[in-house]
Amino acid sequence: MERLFCDPRRCVGCRACEIACAVEHTPSKDLFVSVLNGELGPPRRRVQALGAQPYRVAIGGVVLSLGCHHCDPAPCVDACITGAMHKEDGQTVCDTDKCVGCWMCVMSCPYGAITPKVKALKCDLCPDRKDKVGRSRYACVEACPTEALFAGTFEEFQRVLAEPISAGWEGAR
Amino acid sequence: MKPRYVIIGASAAGSSAAETLRRHDPNAQITVVSDEKITYSKPLLSYYLAGKLGEEQLFFRSPDFYERYGIEKIHARAVGLRPEKSTVELSNGQKLHYDKLLLATGAAPRFPKVEGIQRDGVFGLRKLEDAQGILARLPKTKRAVVLGGGLVGLKAAAALKERGVAVTVLIDSPHALSQMLDESSARIFEKIFEQNGVAIRTRAKPVAVLGTKEKIEGVQLASGEVFPCDVIVVGKGVDPSVELLEGTRIRRDYGVLVDDYLRTSVENIYAAGDVAQARDVLRGEPWINALWPCAVEQGRVAALNMLEKKAAYRGSMRMNSVQFFGVPVISAGLAVLTPGPLGGRPGEHDETLESRPAPGIYRKIFLKDDTIVGFVLVGDVPIEAAGVLRILMERRVNVASIKEELLELGPDLGRLLPLIVENKERFVEREFQELVHTVGV
Repeated sequence: MERLFCDPRRCVGCRACEIACAVEHTPSKDLFVSVLNGELGPPRRRVQALGAQPYRVAIGGVVLSLGCHHCDPAPCVDACITGAMHKEDGQTVCDTDKCVGCWMCVMSCPYGAITPKVKALKCDLCPDRKDKVGRSRYACVEACPTEALFAGTFEEFQRVLAEPISAGWEGAR
Repeated sequence: MKPRYVIIGASAAGSSAAETLRRHDPNAQITVVSDEKITYSKPLLSYYLAGKLGEEQLFFRSPDFYERYGIEKIHARAVGLRPEKSTVELSNGQKLHYDKLLLATGAAPRFPKVEGIQRDGVFGLRKLEDAQGILARLPKTKRAVVLGGGLVGLKAAAALKERGVAVTVLIDSPHALSQMLDESSARIFEKIFEQNGVAIRTRAKPVAVLGTKEKIEGVQLASGEVFPCDVIVVGKGVDPSVELLEGTRIRRDYGVLVDDYLRTSVENIYAAGDVAQARDVLRGEPWINALWPCAVEQGRVAALNMLEKKAAYRGSMRMNSVQFFGVPVISAGLAVLTPGPLGGRPGEHDETLESRPAPGIYRKIFLKDDTIVGFVLVGDVPIEAAGVLRILMERRVNVASIKEELLELGPDLGRLLPLIVENKERFVEREFQELVHTVGV
């Protein structure tokens, strides 16, 4: 199954993925319209820093954009008392119509990847972009200016990680 | 010959086991026996009682679940078990042979032994029929008394309040939610209930349910004080349903004792869910954490072992998440020190971290030898941190290096990555291994 991964060598912590994610989950799917109409909700992925400075990586530090790992078996699915959180072709999906906001899933997610906001919000792998291909398939991947975000299987991502990055990148970091 | 799997019970553990069996063995003969006609989510009953959900919204599996998975469902009660013959006897006279049997019989509400408790109008809140019984009485109900200040009792109290009933909660213990919260966080909720018009009485010991055969009139306390009411809801915890074990050699303590493969002491018989006393990660001894997520996981692990795919159960721990009148609370581990059959014991923590940045916001973390053994998060805090704290607690990770930051922890896995990398042998899941590999580049 295709999932999203972040290459820590390329991520500079710009949070473009967070904004793109939040915008993707608004009715207008437009940054300015959604801000003006107050539609903007929380992002379903977050840039997380390991090291002292979140936006510029400190020596030995790492920044990563993380969201739902679509675990199997998924602790959030086990914890869901309504059946809202469920697996669908390997993806972990929340049927927000069924969600009652008990936050058992929030408590169970070891990655802190579920946001409690009336309903349980999480990465849904951009269902409205199902027709798109390439980097446009996912809003966060499309928005990533350094191509740190990668969509594919972990085996494919491992091949990306095995390739050296150009010297220019090291300088940028 | 196709193996025959029989599951007694169709709630969280039973359904999860049935689903797992079918996923891994398309040909197996699977039979689920339940004394309830439909499969619904018990934790949602208080939502149903409050009128927030209709009956059709209580299903946690689609109504055609059994059909779609090719699982035989028998609506009957299991009344006899003969392990030497590998048979289960049902209330409808049927005798089922099994190759592997799962006991997922669950638990039943514990009613206090007070005079008149069997009167009409006294309900638990465990089965759909309990909720339906309470609802049927609502038109004639002005006042209700809830016995017990645990999760179920308080959820019932809040639900009845929303239905316009005047509610008094009578609690034996010195404070509400004594199995879930420490005293100071419990006081926050007692106040919230009072502010929302629900009367809370602690250290209140009921001695009798007053009334006639047809109609209850009130609850009398040891002090002589009487609380008049038209309906009583009992929320004083549950006892594992072990009746089926009578006359068998299946070992039990409080519940059915199971090993790390969720096997009982008798061959080919497994147990999962609220009836099973399985490993508790924090206590290191068999314990019952009668909780939905534990039951689902145990059902799955038991099924894998019934299929002879050796799967070890990591163990459960107490954890709960709930909202009362819009205020969320998450509590996990050995956060309470109230002694009792399911309470904590002194000495389970040696350090407490606490913060109250604003009224009604409260975080407390309990540590023992620099590992987290419990926590309570109340109010408008980033409760996503609960998941991160929980995994640290479950994997027994030494948190000395980030102790100062624990109380400020948000949903920030990044902060924990060094700990995960250092303890990678404890984070065996594929997803964690991928992360460790990724940051190691």
